[in-house]
Amino acid sequence: MELLAKIAFGIYTAFIILGAGFAVTSQSLVRSLVGLITTLVGVAGMYLLLASPFMAFMQLLIYVGAVSVLIFFASMLTHAEQGGDEASGAPMKTYVLGLAATIAPASVLGWMLMKNPVPSIEVPTEVSIKVLGSELLGSYFLPFELISVILMVAMSGAVLLTWKKRGQKKEGEE
Amino acid sequence: MSALTLYQLVALILLCAGLFGITQRRSLVGMLISVELMLNGAGLSMVAASQLTDFSQAFGQLGALFVMGLAAAEATLVLAIVVVVAKRFGSARTSDITTLKE
Repeated sequence: MELLAKIAFGIYTAFIILGAGFAVTSQSLVRSLVGLITTLVGVAGMYLLLASPFMAFMQLLIYVGAVSVLIFFASMLTHAEQGGDEASGAPMKTYVLGLAATIAPASVLGWMLMKNPVPSIEVPTEVSIKVLGSELLGSYFLPFELISVILMVAMSGAVLLTWKKRGQKKEGEE
Repeated sequence: MSALTLYQLVALILLCAGLFGITQRRSLVGMLISVELMLNGAGLSMVAASQLTDFSQAFGQLGALFVMGLAAAEATLVLAIVVVVAKRFGSARTSDITTLKE
């Protein structure tokens, strides 16, 4: 990597680690959501460094634009006010067990990564959006269609779940 | 250290932060945030692995794109489930909605 790319990589890594720490440990859900958004923007920067601007754009559009707003709605609809659900931390036993459950895969996977370095290209090549689009409508046509079906089913399922039937309360009372 | 290893380590940090969050968070929304962190790590790892090796680059990018689509679908469905649970139990705390233990 060139020097400028290294500096950018460091900045994005700092963004990601700080944001992830905030998202995981903050006691207010809104602050933790802000941490998540910081992480998402950092990952978008990583995609830019990897010479895939389309992925960075999609990351900003889908994650920062749509998923974050959805999570914000979820925290709004469940009255997750400050000093509410997350104010009291987890008990000590959960904390220790959670830390153990995190360190175990981290150490195994990290050791494997360090032990077996894969030969990598230093400067990634860019794939044009034209190629991506033709692949999407060519080789990967089935997953492309399946993901739209999954999105459709998820959306209609969400609507069905939260649908309030008219007169449901009356029937329950009778 | 090669560039690919550095990217994979960042993805590993994201995965572990998500794991830790899932075990620590006391409400369903906090757990959803942690799951999003883990999915982001997966996407980053896939794109890095395909861009920095001889493997097909379109495959990695489109795979990460599918991960994003799945994350969007999952977030929608979890939002609906959280809303239903919060209506029924009065809160989205995990300790309030575990009825199997009783």
